[in-house]
Amino acid sequence: MNAPTLPVAQAKYLLPASLREAADMAAQHPGSFRYVAGGTDVLVNRFQGNEDSTCLIDLGRIPALKGIARVDGHLRIGALETLDRLMKHPLVLADAPMLAEAARSVGAPLLRKTATIGGNVLCENRCLYYNQSEWWRESVGYCLKCNGDICIATGGRNACFSELVSDTAPALIALDAEIEYTEGEAVTRTPLERIYTGDGVAPRNIPPAAIVTALWLPLGRGFTWAFRKLRERQSLEFTSLTTAMTLDSGGRIKIAMAGVDPRPVVVEAAATDDPEALVRKAIKGARAIDNDMFTRLYRREMIGVYLRDSFNTVTAARM
Amino acid sequence: METIRLTVNDREYDLVVHPHETLAQVLRDRIQLTGTKLGCEQASCGACTVWVDGQVVQSCITPAMRVNGSRITTIEGIAPQGGGLHPLQEKFVEKGAIQCGYCTPGMIMTTLHYLEEHPNPTRDEIKEALSGNLCRCTGYKKIIDAVEAHVRNEPSAKQAGDEFKMVGHGRPYTEAGRKACGSAEYADDIKVKNALHCRFHRSTHAHARIKHVDIAAARALPGVRAVITGKELPVTFGVLPISEDETAMAVDKTRYIGEIVAAVAADTPAIAAQACALIQVEYEPLRAFFDMAESCEDVGTDEKIHSHGRFNNNIHKKAELRFGDQQEGLKRAVHTASAELEFQGINHGFTEPHAATAWWDENGLTIITATQVPHYLHRYLAKVLEVPMNRVRVVKPFVGGGFGGKSDPFPHEIIIAHLARKTGRPVSTRLNREEVFLTNHGRHPTRMSMHMGMDADGRFEVLDADVIIDGGAYGSFGVVTSYYNGVLLQAPYKIDNFGFRTRRVYTNKPQCGAMRGHGAVNSRFAVETLIDRLAEQAGMDPCDLRLRNFLDEYSMTVGQYRITSNGSTLALKSAMERSGWKDKHRKLPRGRGIGVGCGFFISGSALPIHWNEYPQSVVHLKVDLDGRVLVTSGASDIGQGSDTMLAMVVAEVLGLSLDNVQVVAADTLLTPIDLGSYSSRVTFMAGNAAKMAAERLREQVLDAVVRITGAERTELNLQRERVFTNDGKVDHSWHEAIEMATRKVGALNATGHYNSPKLGGDFKGAGAGLSPSYSFGSVIAEVEVNERTGHVRVLDLWGAHDAGKALNPLAVEGQLEGSWHMGLGQAMSEQMKYYEGLLVNANLVDYKIPTTMDTPEIHTEIIESMDPEGPFGAKECGEGALHPVIPAIANAIYDAIGVRITSLPMTPEVVLNAIKQQRKQHAEA
Repeated sequence: MNAPTLPVAQAKYLLPASLREAADMAAQHPGSFRYVAGGTDVLVNRFQGNEDSTCLIDLGRIPALKGIARVDGHLRIGALETLDRLMKHPLVLADAPMLAEAARSVGAPLLRKTATIGGNVLCENRCLYYNQSEWWRESVGYCLKCNGDICIATGGRNACFSELVSDTAPALIALDAEIEYTEGEAVTRTPLERIYTGDGVAPRNIPPAAIVTALWLPLGRGFTWAFRKLRERQSLEFTSLTTAMTLDSGGRIKIAMAGVDPRPVVVEAAATDDPEALVRKAIKGARAIDNDMFTRLYRREMIGVYLRDSFNTVTAARM
Repeated sequence: METIRLTVNDREYDLVVHPHETLAQVLRDRIQLTGTKLGCEQASCGACTVWVDGQVVQSCITPAMRVNGSRITTIEGIAPQGGGLHPLQEKFVEKGAIQCGYCTPGMIMTTLHYLEEHPNPTRDEIKEALSGNLCRCTGYKKIIDAVEAHVRNEPSAKQAGDEFKMVGHGRPYTEAGRKACGSAEYADDIKVKNALHCRFHRSTHAHARIKHVDIAAARALPGVRAVITGKELPVTFGVLPISEDETAMAVDKTRYIGEIVAAVAADTPAIAAQACALIQVEYEPLRAFFDMAESCEDVGTDEKIHSHGRFNNNIHKKAELRFGDQQEGLKRAVHTASAELEFQGINHGFTEPHAATAWWDENGLTIITATQVPHYLHRYLAKVLEVPMNRVRVVKPFVGGGFGGKSDPFPHEIIIAHLARKTGRPVSTRLNREEVFLTNHGRHPTRMSMHMGMDADGRFEVLDADVIIDGGAYGSFGVVTSYYNGVLLQAPYKIDNFGFRTRRVYTNKPQCGAMRGHGAVNSRFAVETLIDRLAEQAGMDPCDLRLRNFLDEYSMTVGQYRITSNGSTLALKSAMERSGWKDKHRKLPRGRGIGVGCGFFISGSALPIHWNEYPQSVVHLKVDLDGRVLVTSGASDIGQGSDTMLAMVVAEVLGLSLDNVQVVAADTLLTPIDLGSYSSRVTFMAGNAAKMAAERLREQVLDAVVRITGAERTELNLQRERVFTNDGKVDHSWHEAIEMATRKVGALNATGHYNSPKLGGDFKGAGAGLSPSYSFGSVIAEVEVNERTGHVRVLDLWGAHDAGKALNPLAVEGQLEGSWHMGLGQAMSEQMKYYEGLLVNANLVDYKIPTTMDTPEIHTEIIESMDPEGPFGAKECGEGALHPVIPAIANAIYDAIGVRITSLPMTPEVVLNAIKQQRKQHAEA
């Protein structure tokens, strides 16, 4: 068994009861802390040696991070709500059924009991050449994402293309959701797609000490939607391509995709636009590489298949 | 360190833990609740599932500190206090949902929690609820059945008098209750006091000379007790005496990425791991060989992977046999079909990672290890450690699945034995899932070309196969695999002009070996899909074509296999009838299809690996005044139920209930030699040995009753634990009879053995695939194909397998369903993917074992052909069933969309590429 190797003296596991306490703890451990929500991603990355913060700050006991409610014309979902609760919650099912479906597509039932919506949108990017043990990465010669010099998956490019593998992020983005986070006294609310940088090494731009507190979904937009996930098995899978498409009552189409780029690929259009142009745009925007059990070519091809299907679904539902 | 308080199963514990320890570690290592299993440590198998304050969690990723103050429930807390089982546990036992038992605790914890929230789920909902819990033994069918029965509150099927029903009556494994409660101990659950922990430093180079190993820093680390390198264990080993090409650690050079170069024994696993990271190895890289075709070529001035071998290439073994006249056969063939095929390597995927503990005392070495082959391990521990065999004792605890992946002696076993000797302390080790994949010994990646021809009447005239198999870095069972790829094509059909050539090559990758269905799975795929093509060409129904060509029972194959009982026809007709074949084949709407495959397999190899005259299996019985018959056998129960089988055979002969029979198995000190659980040999061989031993014991008991009561020998019955004559003049209990039989002589002993009859031809290679009996089976699959994505959904599997006589039908069904499920995995999703010799998907997320939701409804039928030499007519059922399922799925895909798939796994991508290829060809035409 891989017991923790960290010297006991440095290792900490902290359980703040409030956001302020959590922020204080973070401030006391600059550069060496990591927030943990459900931990389903962080703990596995730690097992592989990809995450080695000495101080783990568990946000699980902070009441302010929970709750699902309609607030100010939005559905507000606390960042620490589990995917399992979310996918069964009556308000989510009523206001954002696509999000429920996206949540249901994550991992497997056991995981969804622990994994949170906040954790899922912040889920670490993945790559077949990165999500490996320390020994493995040493053998392959360490890639950019673990302090190496080149991207192994592309055979030497100087950029990291680890994939965003969140299934809920594309659904949320297609639903025009905003993410809310706090840093000290400051509360920021911004469209979710803006937190993703597109750089696989540092895929998000939220300040390290900030805590994601909630997701806000606008209500009354009259979305019709389509959600698809490419995976080999029906369960127990990270995504190889997730597509989420909405059509709002104003005739605006929004597409968000995961699994084919370090960031969500977002395409916006009008319902009257040529679907093929839209597909071309989506494929062009996806920097998929061969770092997945499905090849790059296949995933790119599936973007087209999924989006054409989704286009028919969202427009048919409108009629 | 931090102090936490946990209430576990209603008992309070104050514990000092490392701040980053997981709940699983605390439960298993600190409070010895080892019913919580670790299959992957990455939340991708579900074996570690427990409840925290009534919520289900995977304890391998749950920080212990998070649950401070919580109430924890583990599998040990489920059964009612004061004994007995929880009703769900009872249903798992009764329905045969428990085979190896390693996934069982997680399955039960997940299910019970789910049922609290959803008391009346549908079958599909149960499947979804369990879709994060991997099982490799059952194909999930009996697990879902058990949950459904529990939900329906189905009354127990037990009836009065059941205790005496043995052969032919389904019976849960004798130890199933223990497995359901989490108290069955597997290798890593057995904590030996004062034990050191061993970890391994593994090579980062595929093929490289080892210039220098610097172990100074590792050795200097406090808590490290020994560091060893390959030079300390230079003696070679290998499961086959003809290819002892492996050492416990790399000595002068490393042959694959992941090979063990050095090992550390330390006070804790963490210190051992830290020490391993401090070991520095200086390598001089050599040209590495990853491609099997390349390994067939002359290496020029480069260094071969192994220096032995006459030629300047990396070919390990060539096998070639030809029977009849293939040229003549081709001439007579009116219809011919051929294909080039490619198969990825796959891994056994047993849920329990390898683990072992070893120590030395005045009796020499004792090693407790998860093994299918205690006897071969016994031999090679003695050889490599250079001690006589009487200084080595191998003990097999409960084993969490094997499927061939625990049927070799392994480096880690030899290394910890050596470290235990060197340190004078017990030494334990447990591999993580990545190491399990690196250890491998799985199915060989394979390339082959296959040709078949058939005459105008639909008789197979000729078969020719040319096969290359990628053995990886070492030999393992590979010589046998080489032959099996060819010789196991001479049945179940009569083909008089038959030949093959196989080359097994070394490459710089983890070694391949034996895996369920050994050697013939891929070539069976080729034949069965070619038959489908021939049937189409001839305008025949593929089932009818097969029925026309099956070998007769009591016949001889062209390569001189003696076929005795043969249920091929019954099996195929059963599958046809139940699937509605005639109404579906070539009649389903486009996108939906049905396909068939058949197969056969050996019931144990007639020839031993080590050439000697020792029987293939020996069973001893002892009975004393307590009346309980002790059965000792070297056979390894790895979850397939062989202990229960032995008990049932003995109980059947002696008219006993299982209260009077106890099996002690697979302990090389206590039990007579059995060659092990591989080649589907145990029921046939150990079953026969047990039957002989029981018959001999019966004679002793009845002789004594005759002597003392004066009863007529021929009048005596031994049934229901009584010895009686029909006229009632003599009527004694089993205990009274034993009291009589032991007077003046003491405890009774009886021994039974099994020797295979002399079989086979007198040509070189004639021994390969010889077996005293063969099993036969068929599978029909129905699928749905999405032509835009290539996704294939298998909707139903109808399987039938001739097991001779099902001694324990519940266990036989379990073997069949597990085989079909494993075949489904190879068919659809499983593969070992490499990047320059480095295994890319060594975890249970990227290595894709089908979940409950990927597994179709399985419709099982056992065919009984009553083998003349099997115990009570029984023969193999644990491997052969796998063969037909993969081609059945491929043929169903063809029926659905008219596209032939020639590579495995048939991932959506593979299927879509085949569709496009065909469209392109049609467009060109």
